[in-house]
Amino acid sequence: MSAERSDQRPLSPFTTIWRWHVTMVTSILHRASGVALYGGVFAMVAWLAAAAEGPAMYARYVHIMISWPGRALLFGFTLALSFHLLNGVRYLLWGRGIGYDKAAADRSAWLVIVLSSILTLAIWASAYWNLGLLAMGG
Amino acid sequence: MAQLTLPKNSTVQKGKHWPAPVGADPKNVRQFRVYRYDPDSGENPRWDTYDLDTTQFGPMMLHVIIYIKDHVDATLTFRRSCREGVCGSCAMNIDGRNTIACTKPLADIKAKVVSISPLPHQKVVKDLVPDLNDFYAQHAAMQPYLKTTTAAPDKEWKQSIKDREKLDGLYECILCASCSTACPSYWWNGDKYLGPAALLQAYRWLVDSRDEATGDRLDALEDPFRLYRCHTIMNCTQVCPKGLNPAKAIGAIKQMLVEREG
Repeated sequence: MSAERSDQRPLSPFTTIWRWHVTMVTSILHRASGVALYGGVFAMVAWLAAAAEGPAMYARYVHIMISWPGRALLFGFTLALSFHLLNGVRYLLWGRGIGYDKAAADRSAWLVIVLSSILTLAIWASAYWNLGLLAMGG
Repeated sequence: MAQLTLPKNSTVQKGKHWPAPVGADPKNVRQFRVYRYDPDSGENPRWDTYDLDTTQFGPMMLHVIIYIKDHVDATLTFRRSCREGVCGSCAMNIDGRNTIACTKPLADIKAKVVSISPLPHQKVVKDLVPDLNDFYAQHAAMQPYLKTTTAAPDKEWKQSIKDREKLDGLYECILCASCSTACPSYWWNGDKYLGPAALLQAYRWLVDSRDEATGDRLDALEDPFRLYRCHTIMNCTQVCPKGLNPAKAIGAIKQMLVEREG
C-alpha cells in the first residue's frame, strides 16, 4: 500500500454520529463551566475595580449588572460555579479510586446535574428574597 | 485545537438507496444506514441505505451486515471472524456507540434508522474497515509480556490466588479498539495519548505480582500526553463490549504514580 494512498484515506465520522452518555455531557460541561468561570473572574475583578474607583463608577457597574443581560450573566456564572464545584467532587473521589463503575458514574453525573440546578435556583431565590427585604426596608 | 468537523475529503455524501425486497411485510422492514468508502473511486465516502426484511437474518448486527453482503450488495467490506465476541474483529460504531457487531442485538436499537459506521476518527481503508496500525503500535509499546530481572525459576513464576485475582477485568481485553476510538481525548490527541486500551494493558502488567519492571513501566507512562490526557470522560468504560473498565485502570495508574512520589 503506497504512502500516497494512505494519506488520501478519509477520517471516519466521530462528533456527527456519536450518541452521548451522561458522563460525556458532564465532562464537557465541566470544561465549559471552567472556561465560563475564567471569564466570570473578569466580571468579579471589574466589580472590585469599580468599587475602588469610587461611588459613581460603582453605581454604573451595579446599573449594568442589574439589567436583564447583567442578571443573565450572573445567573450563568452561578450555574457554572455550582456545577463546577459539585462536579469537582466527583474528580476528587475518582482521585481516590471511588465511583468508577459505570452505574456509579452515571448516577453521580445525574446527581450533579440535579443538585447544581437546585443550588443555583436556591442561591437566586435567596438573593431575590433578601432583595425583597431590602426593598421593604428590612 | 481540537478539530470538531471532518476534513473535506471525509465529508459523507448521500449514497444509494436499496429498497425492501418485493413482498416483504412492511412491519418487518427496518432501514440501515451504512458508511461506504471505495478507495478506488476517488469519491468521498457516502451513506448507503438498505431497507431490509428483518425476518431474513439472525438477531445480531453481524447477521445484518453479513446478510447485506450475501444478498443485497456484495461490495460491502468489513472485518469479522469468530462471531461470538472473542476476536474483536467486527468492532464498529452502531447506533452512535462503538461495539462489536456480533454481540449487539438489533432488537436493542430503538432508533428508526440503524446507523453503522467505522470506528470513529480513524483513517478508513474501505467501508467499515479502519486503519488500526497506530492502535496496535500503542499496544506493543506497553510491552505486554512479563518482564523480570531475577533468575527464572525451575518451573513456573508462581502467583497466589489473591494476586491472580487482581488481573480479573484486565486480561480479558480482546483489542477490538471500541474504547480507544470512543474517547474524545484519543480523537484529538491519538498520536500522543495512548488511549484506554493501551493503558488498560499497561495496568494489567503493573499489577501483575510476578512482573519486576513496575518502575520502568510507570516511568514510560508519566507524561502529560501519554497518560494524563485522560479526563475521565468514561466513554471507554461505557462502550466496552466485554464490560471492562479502562477508566478505572487509568485512575489506578494515576494513583500508583502519586503513591510513588510519596
